Amino acid sequence: MSKAKLSKREHGQIERIVDYYLNGECQELVRRCELQVKALFSTSDDLAQYVHSTKSRIKGRERLRDKLIRNAIDCKQSGQQFDITENNLFERITDLVGYRILHLHTKQIEAINSIVLSLLQSERWVVIEGPIARTWDDEFRDYFQEIGIETLDNKRMYTSVHYIFKANEQARCACELQIRTLAEELWGEVDHKINYPHKSESLSCREQIKVLARVTSSCSRLVDSIFHSYEESRRIRRRS
Amino acid sequence: MAGIQKPAKRHSAKRIVIYNHKGGVGKTTLTINLAFALASIGKNVLLVDSDPQCNITSYLIDDITLDDLLDHSDADEGKTIWSSVKPLIEATGDVKTIEPIQQGQRLFLLPGDIRLSEFEADLNKFWTECLERRMRGFRGVCGLSILVNQVSEAHDIDYVFYDCGPNIGPLNKVILLDSDCFIVPAACDLFSVRALKTLGHTLAGWIKSWDTIVNQAPDGIYLLPGRPKFLGYIPQRFRVYREEPSSTYRPFYSKIERNVNSEILSIFKKEDSSLASRSIRDLRIGEVKDFGPLATAGQSEGRPMWEVSKGSPDQRDAARRSFLDIANTIIRFAENHMSD
Repeated sequence: MSKAKLSKREHGQIERIVDYYLNGECQELVRRCELQVKALFSTSDDLAQYVHSTKSRIKGRERLRDKLIRNAIDCKQSGQQFDITENNLFERITDLVGYRILHLHTKQIEAINSIVLSLLQSERWVVIEGPIARTWDDEFRDYFQEIGIETLDNKRMYTSVHYIFKANEQARCACELQIRTLAEELWGEVDHKINYPHKSESLSCREQIKVLARVTSSCSRLVDSIFHSYEESRRIRRRS
Repeated sequence: MAGIQKPAKRHSAKRIVIYNHKGGVGKTTLTINLAFALASIGKNVLLVDSDPQCNITSYLIDDITLDDLLDHSDADEGKTIWSSVKPLIEATGDVKTIEPIQQGQRLFLLPGDIRLSEFEADLNKFWTECLERRMRGFRGVCGLSILVNQVSEAHDIDYVFYDCGPNIGPLNKVILLDSDCFIVPAACDLFSVRALKTLGHTLAGWIKSWDTIVNQAPDGIYLLPGRPKFLGYIPQRFRVYREEPSSTYRPFYSKIERNVNSEILSIFKKEDSSLASRSIRDLRIGEVKDFGPLATAGQSEGRPMWEVSKGSPDQRDAARRSFLDIANTIIRFAENHMSD
Protein backbone atom coordinates (compact mmCIF):
# COMPACT_ATOMS: atom_id res chain seq x y z
CA MET A 1 0.00 0.00 0.00
CA SER A 2 1.56 3.28 -1.07
CA LYS A 3 1.31 5.92 1.58
CA ALA A 4 0.26 9.44 0.68
CA LYS A 5 2.68 12.12 1.87
CA LEU A 6 1.35 15.18 3.62
CA SER A 7 2.32 18.62 2.39
CA LYS A 8 4.11 21.22 4.50
CA ARG A 9 0.87 23.16 4.69
CA GLU A 10 -1.05 20.14 6.01
CA HIS A 11 1.64 19.46 8.60
CA GLY A 12 1.45 23.13 9.59
CA GLN A 13 -2.31 22.88 10.00
CA ILE A 14 -1.95 19.79 12.21
CA GLU A 15 0.65 21.51 14.40
CA ARG A 16 -1.64 24.52 14.84
CA ILE A 17 -4.47 22.23 15.97
CA VAL A 18 -2.17 20.42 18.42
CA ASP A 19 -0.89 23.73 19.85
CA TYR A 20 -4.43 24.96 20.24
CA TYR A 21 -5.43 21.77 22.02
CA LEU A 22 -2.53 22.17 24.43
CA ASN A 23 -3.51 25.69 25.49
CA GLY A 24 -4.65 26.25 29.06
CA GLU A 25 -8.34 26.65 28.33
CA CYS A 26 -8.67 23.46 26.24
CA GLN A 27 -6.65 21.45 28.72
CA GLU A 28 -8.78 22.72 31.59
CA LEU A 29 -11.88 21.67 29.69
CA VAL A 30 -10.70 18.13 28.97
CA ARG A 31 -9.46 17.72 32.54
CA ARG A 32 -12.84 18.85 33.84
CA CYS A 33 -14.65 16.40 31.53
CA GLU A 34 -12.39 13.57 32.62
CA LEU A 35 -13.14 14.34 36.27
CA GLN A 36 -16.88 14.40 35.54
CA VAL A 37 -16.88 11.11 33.63
CA LYS A 38 -14.87 9.46 36.41
CA ALA A 39 -17.35 10.75 38.98
CA LEU A 40 -20.24 9.44 36.87
CA PHE A 41 -19.04 5.85 36.67
CA SER A 42 -16.96 5.44 39.81
CA THR A 43 -19.71 6.24 42.30
CA SER A 44 -22.18 3.56 41.19
CA ASP A 45 -22.30 0.50 43.44
CA ASP A 46 -24.53 -1.25 40.89
CA LEU A 47 -21.86 -0.92 38.25
CA ALA A 48 -19.02 -1.86 40.60
CA GLN A 49 -20.26 -5.45 40.96
CA TYR A 50 -19.67 -6.09 37.23
CA VAL A 51 -16.51 -4.07 36.76
CA HIS A 52 -13.06 -5.58 36.97
CA SER A 53 -11.22 -2.29 36.56
CA THR A 54 -11.47 1.09 34.89
CA LYS A 55 -9.13 3.45 33.10
CA SER A 56 -9.50 7.06 32.17
CA ARG A 57 -7.27 9.20 30.02
CA ILE A 58 -7.02 12.50 28.23
CA LYS A 59 -5.60 12.31 24.76
CA GLY A 60 -2.00 13.49 24.86
CA ARG A 61 -0.09 15.58 22.36
CA GLU A 62 1.51 12.70 20.43
CA ARG A 63 -1.65 10.61 20.24
CA LEU A 64 -3.62 13.58 18.92
CA ARG A 65 -0.94 14.42 16.37
CA ASP A 66 -0.86 10.77 15.19
CA LYS A 67 -4.62 10.66 14.90
CA LEU A 68 -4.72 13.88 12.88
CA ILE A 69 -1.92 12.65 10.60
CA ARG A 70 -3.73 9.35 10.01
CA ASN A 71 -6.95 11.22 9.31
CA ALA A 72 -5.20 13.59 6.87
CA ILE A 73 -3.54 10.65 5.07
CA ASP A 74 -6.88 8.81 4.83
CA CYS A 75 -8.45 11.94 3.37
CA LYS A 76 -5.67 12.30 0.83
CA GLN A 77 -5.92 8.66 -0.24
CA SER A 78 -9.65 8.88 -0.72
CA GLY A 79 -9.42 12.23 -2.51
CA GLN A 80 -11.14 14.19 0.23
CA GLN A 81 -10.24 17.49 1.86
CA PHE A 82 -8.70 17.27 5.35
CA ASP A 83 -11.04 19.69 7.09
CA ILE A 84 -10.29 19.46 10.82
CA THR A 85 -9.39 22.88 12.25
CA GLU A 86 -8.98 24.51 15.66
CA ASN A 87 -12.65 25.49 15.43
CA ASN A 88 -14.10 22.04 14.92
CA LEU A 89 -11.50 19.93 16.77
CA PHE A 90 -13.79 19.15 19.71
CA GLU A 91 -16.67 18.37 17.38
CA ARG A 92 -14.69 16.07 15.12
CA ILE A 93 -12.44 14.24 17.58
CA THR A 94 -14.78 12.68 20.08
CA ASP A 95 -12.30 10.67 22.11
CA LEU A 96 -10.21 13.49 23.59
CA VAL A 97 -11.60 12.27 26.90
CA GLY A 98 -11.84 8.51 27.19
CA TYR A 99 -13.02 6.13 29.87
CA ARG A 100 -12.78 2.38 29.73
CA ILE A 101 -14.59 -0.28 31.72
CA LEU A 102 -13.06 -3.74 31.76
CA HIS A 103 -15.05 -6.80 32.75
CA LEU A 104 -14.59 -10.56 32.81
CA HIS A 105 -16.99 -12.17 30.39
CA THR A 106 -19.06 -11.08 27.40
CA LYS A 107 -22.52 -11.68 28.82
CA GLN A 108 -22.01 -9.17 31.62
CA ILE A 109 -22.45 -6.46 28.99
CA GLU A 110 -26.24 -6.74 29.15
CA ALA A 111 -26.33 -5.63 32.81
CA ILE A 112 -23.46 -3.15 32.40
CA ASN A 113 -25.14 -1.52 29.39
CA SER A 114 -28.40 -1.10 31.23
CA ILE A 115 -26.66 0.48 34.26
CA VAL A 116 -24.56 2.75 32.04
CA LEU A 117 -27.63 3.96 30.14
CA SER A 118 -29.56 4.61 33.33
CA LEU A 119 -26.63 6.55 34.83
CA LEU A 120 -26.34 8.65 31.69
CA GLN A 121 -30.07 9.29 31.85
CA SER A 122 -30.39 10.07 35.55
CA GLU A 123 -27.39 12.40 35.44
CA ARG A 124 -28.75 13.88 32.21
CA TRP A 125 -25.88 13.41 29.81
CA VAL A 126 -26.64 13.84 26.12
CA VAL A 127 -25.88 10.57 24.34
CA ILE A 128 -24.61 11.29 20.85
CA GLU A 129 -23.77 7.77 19.80
CA GLY A 130 -24.09 4.27 21.13
CA PRO A 131 -24.22 1.78 22.45
CA ILE A 132 -22.50 0.37 19.39
CA ALA A 133 -20.62 -2.92 19.52
CA ARG A 134 -17.69 -3.19 17.17
CA THR A 135 -16.91 -6.82 16.55
CA TRP A 136 -15.61 -9.18 13.93
CA ASP A 137 -16.86 -12.35 15.62
CA ASP A 138 -20.15 -13.68 14.20
CA GLU A 139 -21.30 -15.33 17.41
CA PHE A 140 -20.70 -12.21 19.50
CA ARG A 141 -22.44 -10.10 16.82
CA ASP A 142 -25.59 -12.22 17.15
CA TYR A 143 -25.45 -11.94 20.93
CA PHE A 144 -25.15 -8.11 20.92
CA GLN A 145 -28.04 -7.83 18.47
CA GLU A 146 -30.13 -10.15 20.61
CA ILE A 147 -29.73 -7.85 23.64
CA GLY A 148 -30.50 -4.77 21.56
CA ILE A 149 -27.02 -3.37 21.01
CA GLU A 150 -26.35 -2.15 17.49
CA THR A 151 -23.28 -3.74 15.87
CA LEU A 152 -20.63 -2.57 13.46
CA ASP A 153 -18.23 -4.82 11.57
CA ASN A 154 -14.73 -4.23 12.73
CA LYS A 155 -11.78 -4.83 10.46
CA ARG A 156 -9.51 -4.16 13.40
CA MET A 157 -10.26 -7.57 14.95
CA TYR A 158 -11.40 -6.60 18.43
CA THR A 159 -14.73 -6.54 20.23
CA SER A 160 -15.73 -3.50 22.21
CA VAL A 161 -18.87 -1.52 23.03
CA HIS A 162 -18.72 2.26 22.55
CA TYR A 163 -20.72 5.26 23.68
CA ILE A 164 -20.18 8.95 22.96
CA PHE A 165 -21.88 11.55 25.12
CA LYS A 166 -21.56 15.12 26.27
CA ALA A 167 -22.59 17.29 29.19
CA ASN A 168 -25.32 19.24 27.38
CA GLU A 169 -26.35 20.18 23.83
CA GLN A 170 -24.01 23.18 23.79
CA ALA A 171 -21.07 21.50 25.50
CA ARG A 172 -17.90 21.56 23.40
CA CYS A 173 -16.18 18.42 24.55
CA ALA A 174 -17.52 14.92 24.00
CA CYS A 175 -16.43 11.89 26.02
CA GLU A 176 -16.04 8.32 24.86
CA LEU A 177 -16.77 5.24 26.92
CA GLN A 178 -15.46 1.84 25.84
CA ILE A 179 -16.48 -1.40 27.48
CA ARG A 180 -14.59 -4.58 26.76
CA THR A 181 -13.52 -7.85 28.35
CA LEU A 182 -10.12 -8.27 29.98
CA ALA A 183 -9.07 -10.61 27.16
CA GLU A 184 -9.94 -7.95 24.56
CA GLU A 185 -7.93 -5.45 26.54
CA LEU A 186 -4.87 -7.66 26.23
CA TRP A 187 -5.24 -7.77 22.45
CA GLY A 188 -5.87 -4.03 22.31
CA GLU A 189 -2.77 -3.20 24.33
CA VAL A 190 -0.50 -5.45 22.27
CA ASP A 191 -1.92 -4.14 19.01
CA HIS A 192 -1.43 -0.57 20.18
CA LYS A 193 2.22 -1.11 21.07
CA ILE A 194 3.00 -2.84 17.80
CA ASN A 195 0.87 -0.96 15.31
CA TYR A 196 0.65 2.63 16.60
CA PRO A 197 1.18 5.18 15.33
CA HIS A 198 2.45 3.23 12.34
CA LYS A 199 1.67 -0.31 11.36
CA SER A 200 4.52 -2.65 12.23
CA GLU A 201 6.77 -3.40 9.29
CA SER A 202 7.37 -6.90 10.56
CA LEU A 203 5.21 -9.35 8.66
CA SER A 204 5.40 -11.94 11.45
CA CYS A 205 4.28 -9.36 14.04
CA ARG A 206 1.30 -8.45 11.87
CA GLU A 207 0.51 -12.13 11.38
CA GLN A 208 0.80 -12.97 15.05
CA ILE A 209 -1.46 -10.09 16.02
CA LYS A 210 -4.17 -11.61 13.83
CA VAL A 211 -3.70 -14.97 15.45
CA LEU A 212 -3.78 -13.31 18.87
CA ALA A 213 -7.16 -11.81 17.90
CA ARG A 214 -8.49 -15.33 17.34
CA VAL A 215 -7.02 -16.55 20.61
CA THR A 216 -8.52 -13.51 22.36
CA SER A 217 -11.94 -14.19 20.95
CA SER A 218 -11.66 -17.83 22.00
CA CYS A 219 -10.42 -16.78 25.42
CA SER A 220 -13.44 -14.47 25.96
CA ARG A 221 -15.66 -17.28 24.69
CA LEU A 222 -14.03 -19.76 27.07
CA VAL A 223 -14.50 -17.44 30.04
CA ASP A 224 -18.16 -17.08 28.99
CA SER A 225 -18.53 -20.81 28.90
CA ILE A 226 -16.86 -21.29 32.28
CA PHE A 227 -19.21 -18.77 33.89
CA HIS A 228 -22.17 -20.30 32.12
CA SER A 229 -21.25 -23.74 33.51
CA TYR A 230 -20.58 -22.26 36.95
CA GLU A 231 -24.00 -20.53 37.07
CA GLU A 232 -25.72 -23.67 35.85
CA SER A 233 -24.09 -25.87 38.48
CA ARG A 234 -25.19 -23.39 41.18
CA ARG A 235 -28.73 -23.45 39.84
CA ILE A 236 -28.82 -27.24 39.90
CA ARG A 237 -27.45 -27.32 43.43
CA ARG A 238 -30.06 -24.82 44.61
CA ARG A 239 -32.81 -26.84 43.03
CA SER A 240 -31.70 -30.06 44.72
CA MET B 1 -36.96 15.43 42.91
CA ALA B 2 -39.35 17.61 40.94
CA GLY B 3 -37.89 20.95 42.00
CA ILE B 4 -34.75 20.79 39.97
CA GLN B 5 -35.83 18.36 37.27
CA LYS B 6 -38.84 20.36 36.16
CA PRO B 7 -37.68 23.86 36.93
CA ALA B 8 -40.09 26.64 37.59
CA LYS B 9 -39.20 29.79 35.72
CA ARG B 10 -37.19 32.11 37.91
CA HIS B 11 -39.70 34.41 39.57
CA SER B 12 -39.48 38.08 38.62
CA ALA B 13 -38.72 39.27 42.19
CA LYS B 14 -35.39 41.10 42.26
CA ARG B 15 -32.96 39.44 44.62
CA ILE B 16 -30.58 41.76 46.42
CA VAL B 17 -27.79 41.11 48.86
CA ILE B 18 -26.06 43.66 51.02
CA TYR B 19 -22.66 42.17 51.29
CA ASN B 20 -19.29 42.79 52.81
CA HIS B 21 -17.19 40.01 54.30
CA LYS B 22 -16.00 42.49 56.93
CA GLY B 23 -18.26 42.34 59.97
CA GLY B 24 -19.71 45.27 61.86
CA VAL B 25 -20.41 47.39 58.81
CA GLY B 26 -24.13 47.51 59.50
CA LYS B 27 -25.30 44.92 56.98
CA THR B 28 -28.27 43.72 58.99
CA THR B 29 -29.46 47.20 60.06
CA LEU B 30 -29.22 48.38 56.49
CA THR B 31 -30.94 45.31 55.07
CA ILE B 32 -33.89 45.42 57.42
CA ASN B 33 -34.47 49.15 57.17
CA LEU B 34 -34.30 49.02 53.37
CA ALA B 35 -36.82 46.18 53.44
CA PHE B 36 -39.12 48.28 55.66
CA ALA B 37 -38.64 51.27 53.33
CA LEU B 38 -39.53 49.31 50.20
CA ALA B 39 -42.56 47.79 51.94
CA SER B 40 -43.67 51.28 52.99
CA ILE B 41 -43.80 52.36 49.34
CA GLY B 42 -45.98 49.45 48.33
CA LYS B 43 -43.51 46.72 47.40
CA ASN B 44 -43.83 43.15 48.64
CA VAL B 45 -40.54 42.29 50.28
CA LEU B 46 -39.12 38.96 51.38
CA LEU B 47 -36.30 38.92 53.92
CA VAL B 48 -34.24 35.74 53.82
CA ASP B 49 -32.26 35.24 57.00
CA SER B 50 -29.47 33.21 55.50
CA ASP B 51 -27.03 34.11 58.27
CA PRO B 52 -26.65 31.27 60.81
CA GLN B 53 -26.39 34.01 63.46
CA CYS B 54 -30.12 34.74 62.87
CA ASN B 55 -29.71 38.48 63.50
CA ILE B 56 -32.56 39.54 61.26
CA THR B 57 -34.89 36.92 62.67
CA SER B 58 -34.19 38.03 66.24
CA TYR B 59 -34.64 41.64 65.12
CA LEU B 60 -38.14 40.90 63.84
CA ILE B 61 -39.57 38.31 66.18
CA ASP B 62 -39.58 38.04 69.94
CA ASP B 63 -37.30 35.69 71.84
CA ILE B 64 -40.00 33.26 72.94
CA THR B 65 -41.33 32.76 69.41
CA LEU B 66 -37.78 32.46 68.08
CA ASP B 67 -36.86 29.90 70.72
CA ASP B 68 -39.92 27.88 69.81
CA LEU B 69 -39.07 28.07 66.08
CA LEU B 70 -35.53 26.84 66.66
CA ASP B 71 -36.70 24.10 69.05
CA HIS B 72 -38.92 22.65 66.35
CA SER B 73 -36.90 23.38 63.22
CA ASP B 74 -35.66 19.81 62.96
CA ALA B 75 -39.15 18.30 63.04
CA ASP B 76 -41.40 17.68 60.05
CA GLU B 77 -43.43 20.77 60.84
CA GLY B 78 -40.26 22.94 61.15
CA LYS B 79 -40.54 26.44 59.75
CA THR B 80 -36.99 27.77 59.45
CA ILE B 81 -34.73 27.73 56.40
CA TRP B 82 -32.99 24.75 57.99
CA SER B 83 -36.27 22.83 58.03
CA SER B 84 -36.54 23.53 54.30
CA VAL B 85 -33.04 22.51 53.23
CA LYS B 86 -32.75 19.50 55.54
CA PRO B 87 -34.01 16.99 52.91
CA LEU B 88 -31.09 18.04 50.69
CA ILE B 89 -28.55 17.17 53.34
CA GLU B 90 -30.22 13.90 54.17
CA ALA B 91 -30.60 13.19 50.43
CA THR B 92 -34.28 12.43 50.92
CA GLY B 93 -35.62 14.95 48.42
CA ASP B 94 -35.72 18.55 47.28
CA VAL B 95 -36.21 21.60 49.49
CA LYS B 96 -39.38 21.57 51.53
CA THR B 97 -41.65 24.57 51.02
CA ILE B 98 -42.12 26.60 54.20
CA GLU B 99 -44.46 29.48 54.91
CA PRO B 100 -42.72 32.80 55.60
CA ILE B 101 -43.64 34.78 58.69
CA GLN B 102 -45.58 37.85 57.70
CA GLN B 103 -44.72 41.20 59.34
CA GLY B 104 -47.29 43.84 58.50
CA GLN B 105 -48.92 43.87 55.11
CA ARG B 106 -45.98 43.60 52.80
CA LEU B 107 -43.00 42.22 54.65
CA PHE B 108 -42.25 38.50 54.82
CA LEU B 109 -39.49 36.68 56.63
CA LEU B 110 -37.91 33.30 56.00
CA PRO B 111 -36.49 32.68 59.48
CA GLY B 112 -32.85 31.82 59.96
CA ASP B 113 -31.48 28.97 62.01
CA ILE B 114 -28.25 28.35 63.83
CA ARG B 115 -28.21 24.94 62.13
CA LEU B 116 -27.69 26.62 58.76
CA SER B 117 -24.01 26.27 59.60
CA GLU B 118 -24.50 22.53 59.03
CA PHE B 119 -26.00 23.27 55.62
CA GLU B 120 -23.00 25.49 54.98
CA ALA B 121 -20.64 22.59 55.66
CA ASP B 122 -22.58 20.45 53.17
CA LEU B 123 -22.53 23.20 50.58
CA ASN B 124 -18.80 22.65 50.17
CA LYS B 125 -19.54 19.05 49.24
CA PHE B 126 -22.41 20.10 46.92
CA TRP B 127 -20.11 22.58 45.20
CA THR B 128 -17.53 19.84 44.58
CA GLU B 129 -20.32 17.65 43.20
CA CYS B 130 -21.29 20.47 40.82
CA LEU B 131 -17.70 20.54 39.59
CA GLU B 132 -18.14 16.79 39.05
CA ARG B 133 -21.43 17.55 37.30
CA ARG B 134 -23.52 15.47 39.71
CA MET B 135 -27.26 16.20 39.90
CA ARG B 136 -27.07 15.93 43.68
CA GLY B 137 -24.63 18.84 43.74
CA PHE B 138 -26.90 21.06 41.65
CA ARG B 139 -29.86 20.21 43.90
CA GLY B 140 -27.86 21.26 46.96
CA VAL B 141 -26.30 24.42 45.56
CA CYS B 142 -29.61 25.64 44.07
CA GLY B 143 -31.77 24.55 47.03
CA LEU B 144 -32.02 27.89 48.82
CA SER B 145 -32.70 29.65 45.52
CA ILE B 146 -35.52 27.22 44.72
CA LEU B 147 -37.08 27.88 48.14
CA VAL B 148 -36.90 31.65 47.54
CA ASN B 149 -38.44 31.12 44.13
CA GLN B 150 -41.37 29.16 45.56
CA VAL B 151 -42.05 31.72 48.30
CA SER B 152 -41.72 34.66 45.87
CA GLU B 153 -44.24 32.99 43.60
CA ALA B 154 -46.69 32.26 46.40
CA HIS B 155 -46.60 35.78 47.88
CA ASP B 156 -46.13 37.88 44.75
CA ILE B 157 -42.82 39.22 46.03
CA ASP B 158 -41.19 42.24 44.34
CA TYR B 159 -37.90 42.37 46.22
CA VAL B 160 -35.91 39.72 48.06
CA PHE B 161 -33.17 40.65 50.51
CA TYR B 162 -30.69 38.05 51.64
CA ASP B 163 -29.00 38.74 54.94
CA CYS B 164 -25.67 37.02 55.29
CA GLY B 165 -22.82 36.57 57.71
CA PRO B 166 -19.50 38.41 57.42
CA ASN B 167 -17.42 35.79 55.64
CA ILE B 168 -16.54 34.36 52.24
CA GLY B 169 -17.97 30.92 52.98
CA PRO B 170 -19.94 28.68 50.62
CA LEU B 171 -23.35 29.90 51.83
CA ASN B 172 -22.51 33.47 50.87
CA LYS B 173 -21.10 32.22 47.59
CA VAL B 174 -24.43 30.66 46.54
CA ILE B 175 -26.35 33.71 47.82
CA LEU B 176 -24.22 36.09 45.77
CA LEU B 177 -24.56 33.87 42.71
CA ASP B 178 -28.33 33.80 43.18
CA SER B 179 -28.62 37.58 43.60
CA ASP B 180 -29.50 39.92 40.78
CA CYS B 181 -27.41 42.63 42.37
CA PHE B 182 -25.32 43.41 45.42
CA ILE B 183 -24.71 46.49 47.49
CA VAL B 184 -21.54 46.97 49.52
CA PRO B 185 -21.87 48.69 52.88
CA ALA B 186 -18.59 50.18 53.99
CA ALA B 187 -17.91 51.53 57.44
CA CYS B 188 -15.55 54.43 57.82
CA ASP B 189 -12.70 52.58 59.45
CA LEU B 190 -9.37 51.20 58.42
CA PHE B 191 -10.35 47.52 58.25
CA SER B 192 -13.50 48.16 56.32
CA VAL B 193 -11.55 50.07 53.70
CA ARG B 194 -8.96 47.29 53.55
CA ALA B 195 -11.65 44.61 53.22
CA LEU B 196 -12.79 46.15 49.94
CA LYS B 197 -9.46 45.14 48.45
CA THR B 198 -10.29 41.44 48.53
CA LEU B 199 -14.01 41.71 47.89
CA GLY B 200 -13.92 42.30 44.13
CA HIS B 201 -11.48 39.46 43.48
CA THR B 202 -13.47 37.05 45.63
CA LEU B 203 -16.75 37.82 43.86
CA ALA B 204 -15.20 37.71 40.40
CA GLY B 205 -13.64 34.34 41.28
CA TRP B 206 -17.04 32.95 42.32
CA ILE B 207 -18.68 34.16 39.12
CA LYS B 208 -15.95 32.61 36.98
CA SER B 209 -16.02 29.32 38.84
CA TRP B 210 -19.82 29.02 38.56
CA ASP B 211 -19.58 29.89 34.88
CA THR B 212 -17.36 26.87 34.20
CA ILE B 213 -19.81 24.69 36.15
CA VAL B 214 -22.75 26.03 34.11
CA ASN B 215 -20.97 25.32 30.82
CA GLN B 216 -21.00 21.62 31.68
CA ALA B 217 -24.34 21.57 33.53
CA PRO B 218 -27.20 19.33 32.36
CA ASP B 219 -29.77 20.94 30.06
CA GLY B 220 -33.08 22.11 31.48
CA ILE B 221 -32.34 22.16 35.21
CA TYR B 222 -32.78 25.03 37.66
CA LEU B 223 -29.52 26.95 37.97
CA LEU B 224 -28.30 30.01 39.83
CA PRO B 225 -28.02 32.92 37.38
CA GLY B 226 -24.48 33.68 38.59
CA ARG B 227 -24.54 37.27 37.34
CA PRO B 228 -24.76 39.63 40.34
CA LYS B 229 -24.61 43.24 39.20
CA PHE B 230 -22.79 45.82 41.25
CA LEU B 231 -25.51 48.24 42.31
CA GLY B 232 -23.38 50.45 44.50
CA TYR B 233 -21.90 51.11 47.91
CA ILE B 234 -23.11 52.85 51.04
CA PRO B 235 -20.76 54.58 53.46
CA GLN B 236 -22.05 53.99 56.96
CA ARG B 237 -22.05 55.38 60.45
CA PHE B 238 -20.14 58.56 60.10
CA ARG B 239 -20.91 61.53 62.30
CA VAL B 240 -21.88 64.72 60.50
CA TYR B 241 -21.03 68.32 61.02
CA ARG B 242 -22.89 70.88 58.90
CA GLU B 243 -24.12 68.24 56.44
CA GLU B 244 -20.58 67.13 55.56
CA PRO B 245 -18.89 64.05 56.92
CA SER B 246 -16.86 65.20 59.89
CA SER B 247 -13.12 65.50 59.57
CA THR B 248 -12.39 62.18 61.33
CA TYR B 249 -14.33 60.32 58.69
CA ARG B 250 -13.50 62.41 55.63
CA PRO B 251 -10.25 60.62 54.73
CA PHE B 252 -12.04 57.26 54.84
CA TYR B 253 -14.76 58.59 52.64
CA SER B 254 -12.43 59.18 49.70
CA LYS B 255 -10.45 56.01 50.43
CA ILE B 256 -13.67 53.99 50.24
CA GLU B 257 -14.49 55.54 46.89
CA ARG B 258 -10.97 54.91 45.60
CA ASN B 259 -11.03 51.26 46.66
CA VAL B 260 -14.53 50.63 45.35
CA ASN B 261 -13.35 51.98 42.02
CA SER B 262 -10.10 50.07 41.79
CA GLU B 263 -10.99 46.86 43.66
CA ILE B 264 -14.58 46.18 42.68
CA LEU B 265 -15.69 48.31 39.75
CA SER B 266 -12.61 47.89 37.57
CA ILE B 267 -12.38 44.14 38.30
CA PHE B 268 -16.03 43.63 37.38
CA LYS B 269 -15.66 45.81 34.27
CA LYS B 270 -12.74 43.65 33.17
CA GLU B 271 -14.58 40.36 33.76
CA ASP B 272 -17.94 41.36 32.34
CA SER B 273 -18.85 44.99 31.74
CA SER B 274 -22.59 44.22 31.95
CA LEU B 275 -22.13 43.51 35.67
CA ALA B 276 -20.76 46.99 36.33
CA SER B 277 -22.60 49.34 34.01
CA ARG B 278 -22.63 52.40 36.25
CA SER B 279 -19.86 54.93 36.73
CA ILE B 280 -18.17 55.44 40.08
CA ARG B 281 -20.06 58.72 40.52
CA ASP B 282 -23.41 56.93 40.51
CA LEU B 283 -22.29 54.08 42.71
CA ARG B 284 -22.54 55.87 46.02
CA ILE B 285 -26.25 55.14 46.30
CA GLY B 286 -26.78 56.73 49.67
CA GLU B 287 -25.31 57.40 53.05
CA VAL B 288 -26.28 56.01 56.37
CA LYS B 289 -25.28 58.37 59.09
CA ASP B 290 -24.87 57.57 62.72
CA PHE B 291 -28.44 57.78 63.87
CA GLY B 292 -27.41 57.32 67.47
CA PRO B 293 -30.13 55.73 69.59
CA LEU B 294 -32.38 54.89 66.62
CA ALA B 295 -30.42 51.82 65.52
CA THR B 296 -30.46 50.06 68.87
CA ALA B 297 -34.07 51.08 69.50
CA GLY B 298 -35.06 49.66 66.11
CA GLN B 299 -33.46 46.38 67.04
CA SER B 300 -35.11 46.09 70.43
CA GLU B 301 -38.51 47.24 69.20
CA GLY B 302 -38.42 45.28 65.92
CA ARG B 303 -39.34 48.35 63.89
CA PRO B 304 -37.82 50.58 61.25
CA MET B 305 -35.56 53.27 62.69
CA TRP B 306 -38.08 56.00 61.86
CA GLU B 307 -40.84 54.38 63.89
CA VAL B 308 -39.03 53.83 67.17
CA SER B 309 -39.86 55.45 70.50
CA LYS B 310 -36.35 56.91 70.92
CA GLY B 311 -34.56 59.89 69.36
CA SER B 312 -35.98 63.17 68.14
CA PRO B 313 -38.61 63.57 65.39
CA ASP B 314 -35.92 65.24 63.26
CA GLN B 315 -33.59 62.27 63.69
CA ARG B 316 -36.35 59.84 62.81
CA ASP B 317 -37.34 61.84 59.77
CA ALA B 318 -33.72 62.04 58.60
CA ALA B 319 -33.46 58.26 58.97
CA ARG B 320 -36.66 57.72 57.01
CA ARG B 321 -35.52 59.98 54.18
CA SER B 322 -32.14 58.34 54.11
CA PHE B 323 -33.54 54.82 53.64
CA LEU B 324 -36.32 55.91 51.29
CA ASP B 325 -33.72 57.56 49.04
CA ILE B 326 -31.77 54.31 48.82
CA ALA B 327 -35.00 52.32 48.32
CA ASN B 328 -35.93 54.55 45.39
CA THR B 329 -32.47 54.18 43.90
CA ILE B 330 -32.88 50.41 44.11
CA ILE B 331 -36.25 50.61 42.37
CA ARG B 332 -34.79 52.76 39.59
CA PHE B 333 -31.85 50.39 39.20
CA ALA B 334 -34.19 47.40 39.08
CA GLU B 335 -36.27 49.04 36.37
CA ASN B 336 -33.32 50.16 34.25
CA HIS B 337 -30.68 47.49 34.76
CA MET B 338 -32.42 44.34 35.89
CA SER B 339 -35.18 43.99 33.31
CA ASP B 340 -35.83 40.39 32.31
